[in-house]
Amino acid sequence: MASNKVKPRMSAMAKREERWAWLFIAAPFVGFMLFMAYPIVFALIASTSKWTGINSLWGNIVGLRNYIKILNDAKFWKAMGTTIIYMIGIPIGMILGILVAMGLNRKIPGKRFLTTMYYVPVVSSLVAVSILWAWVFNYDYGLLNGIYKALTGLHGPNWLGDELMVKISLIIFMVWKGLGGTIILYLAGLQNIPRDYYEAAMIDGANSWQKFKSITLPLLSPVTFYVLITSLIGGFQVFVEVQVMTPSGGPNYSAATVVFYLYEKAFTNGQLGYGSAVAVILAIIIFIITAINFWGQDKWVKTID
Amino acid sequence: MRRKFLGIAMATVMGLSTITGCATTTVEEAGEAEAPAESKTEEAAGDATESTDAGEATEDAGAAEAETSDGSSSDSLTGNGDKTLHVFLYMQEHEKKIYEDLVKQFVDEHKDEIKEVVFEVTTQDEYNQKMIANMTANDMPDVFYVGPAAVRSYVDNGYVLPLDDYVDADTIGSVWGTTQEIYRYDGKDIGKGSLYALPKDLSCFAFAYNQDLFDAAGLDYPDPEKPYTYDEFVEVCEKLTIDKDGDGEIDQWGVANADQWGMTPFLYSNGVKFLNDDMTKVNVANNEQLKEALTFYTDLTKNGLTPSVEQDTALGGYQRWLDGQVAFYACGTWDVAAFMDDATFPYKWNLCGWPVGPSGDGRSHTWMGSVGYGISAKSENPELAAALITKLSTDPEGQKAVSGISTGESIQLPNITDLAYGEFKDAVDSGKVPYASNVDVIFGYFDSNDHYAAALQEFDYTYNAEWWTPFWSGVFNIKNGDITVEDFLQQVEPEMQEALDEAIELQNSATN
Repeated sequence: MASNKVKPRMSAMAKREERWAWLFIAAPFVGFMLFMAYPIVFALIASTSKWTGINSLWGNIVGLRNYIKILNDAKFWKAMGTTIIYMIGIPIGMILGILVAMGLNRKIPGKRFLTTMYYVPVVSSLVAVSILWAWVFNYDYGLLNGIYKALTGLHGPNWLGDELMVKISLIIFMVWKGLGGTIILYLAGLQNIPRDYYEAAMIDGANSWQKFKSITLPLLSPVTFYVLITSLIGGFQVFVEVQVMTPSGGPNYSAATVVFYLYEKAFTNGQLGYGSAVAVILAIIIFIITAINFWGQDKWVKTID
Repeated sequence: MRRKFLGIAMATVMGLSTITGCATTTVEEAGEAEAPAESKTEEAAGDATESTDAGEATEDAGAAEAETSDGSSSDSLTGNGDKTLHVFLYMQEHEKKIYEDLVKQFVDEHKDEIKEVVFEVTTQDEYNQKMIANMTANDMPDVFYVGPAAVRSYVDNGYVLPLDDYVDADTIGSVWGTTQEIYRYDGKDIGKGSLYALPKDLSCFAFAYNQDLFDAAGLDYPDPEKPYTYDEFVEVCEKLTIDKDGDGEIDQWGVANADQWGMTPFLYSNGVKFLNDDMTKVNVANNEQLKEALTFYTDLTKNGLTPSVEQDTALGGYQRWLDGQVAFYACGTWDVAAFMDDATFPYKWNLCGWPVGPSGDGRSHTWMGSVGYGISAKSENPELAAALITKLSTDPEGQKAVSGISTGESIQLPNITDLAYGEFKDAVDSGKVPYASNVDVIFGYFDSNDHYAAALQEFDYTYNAEWWTPFWSGVFNIKNGDITVEDFLQQVEPEMQEALDEAIELQNSATN
């Protein structure tokens, strides 16, 4: 009897709970549908059209024509090449990040202050620091060429006005901008490495390099993996600094990235369909590269357990 | 296995976030919304669909940002009637006040008809994107801007109402001839057929000289009645290009030119046209007039009469002009107020014509810009909307306010020709409106006479300006000596033609 009584009461509660559960699921679900799924589907459809924002999207479906055009679009490939060249900054940022993090991972005075200093660029507005660096790189009045002239008496390079230098300048900027974030992550990673590993290694007579190579580096690999993935994805999406420092894409379009190109196509030239197709291609590339990384991580990413 | 699944999931989300435009790091996201502001403001330096904004072109980017973040506003004005109007425009702060007052007056005058007028103003940077959103959502405001470049697309796609039945002929006839023409379209050609917009303004890109530098060099001022020839111009520039402090480096130049906007007047004044008459073919590679004019233009830099390309990347011509380093510089009608302001430009200056090439029609040419007020084809109250745009465009008191006759600060020239040649010119002569005394140069460009003529830029007639980009953005290579004029023209034509073909195709994609 008693169990019979309990059962319906439980199920009423379960039902209520279930209703609540549905509600809780509904919030992110609706959010996802509205702000992710719908725009994605819309962009996919738009990417097969000659949509300009002014004409009708449905009346201008052209199939895969935009994609074929992009494959033969010299400007797109130039922007893609530049985007990939900028990624030279990723390993540089990682190496510097590990070095600085190891330096900070000791009992040194002013450690907090230094960590904060390195992190300031990360929390600063990207637009603001880009404007600042545009001045740092200025040919006649910039900080860098000012120092250069004071030291050598000669005029420094045209940082933002030369096809090669503009790429170097932007890589320097991006490394500087991203370094703080990398350092914080590596610092957390370093603090997670148990000290007894090093003690055991010391007893075995390992030197610093051997400790670094066989303990620190492998045990930092999950952090390295995370940094690599996020940097690669961020690397494909570089836009703001290019837009601010070289508003027309640099001399002979030498500074433009894929997203810069996409923006220009879609919003300056009113080719929203074509721009969507560029976005889809970029998404596919990022998907493939991220997937490769995840599949490849078993080979080099080590965890403590 | 679980990790692999996570991997795929993460890859998917990361990849797709590109499509939806979500940045993966919040820091980047924060900047992204603001970034377009800077570039657009620079581009606006001569955007023909805009005029008033461009004075800020070279102002520091911080100002542009501030404007973007708090530049939009929406006012609602109410009456006792039952009709509503939604007005959506872009404007700068100081213009907004004047136009807002006009709208308030309008609501008062039509109190019994109007229930509410929503006066929404945003920045130029955001305007187009918001308009695209409105079109996509099929929720057009009653009154919005139509630029000359947009007339065709807007009409073909059925967004704007022909004004023929709503605006009387006297009103239309009272404005500059150019603005009567460029908003007409018959389904095939611009300049014919129904009228689709009333002008908000008309502007042009005139030329200016620094009187103080002329005085210092002991030279006669340019004659506003007779623009220089190419040769005369070089001669004057040579005398004005000097090493003032004697350190062996040139620190004052004859002229500075921004390729994107300040090059075409030199070329147009030699009869150059980049496109054929029906705007379907790029005519660059074998264009002798262009070759001659472009050689002249790039030689100015090669011969050191302008700052070098490198110097120009360090500090633009606009800043150098404000700093008194160059004797001639472009002056858009929207720049005049800034140049008249001693705090901004502490030199005496005046207007003159762009130099005239040997192979043109002997007149000095430049380009004009305008933007107009259009009415939505779906507006429920077209008569009321038409009354409002008539007031905004041609109300005498409003025009006296924006042109400075009643306010002492000239934001734009009057749209009404009688007012321009009459009260406005008197006010300039008497000093009531601070303005360059050679204002006739601008009127000459607007109305065309024996010495002056002007037109819209050719890309104002094509769907977008993409075909023009490879040209202006490549010219610095000639100045640097990396390519000859001839080779450049050969090389750039196919790229321009390709972009033009694309623009034509998009233009024709309407009403499918």
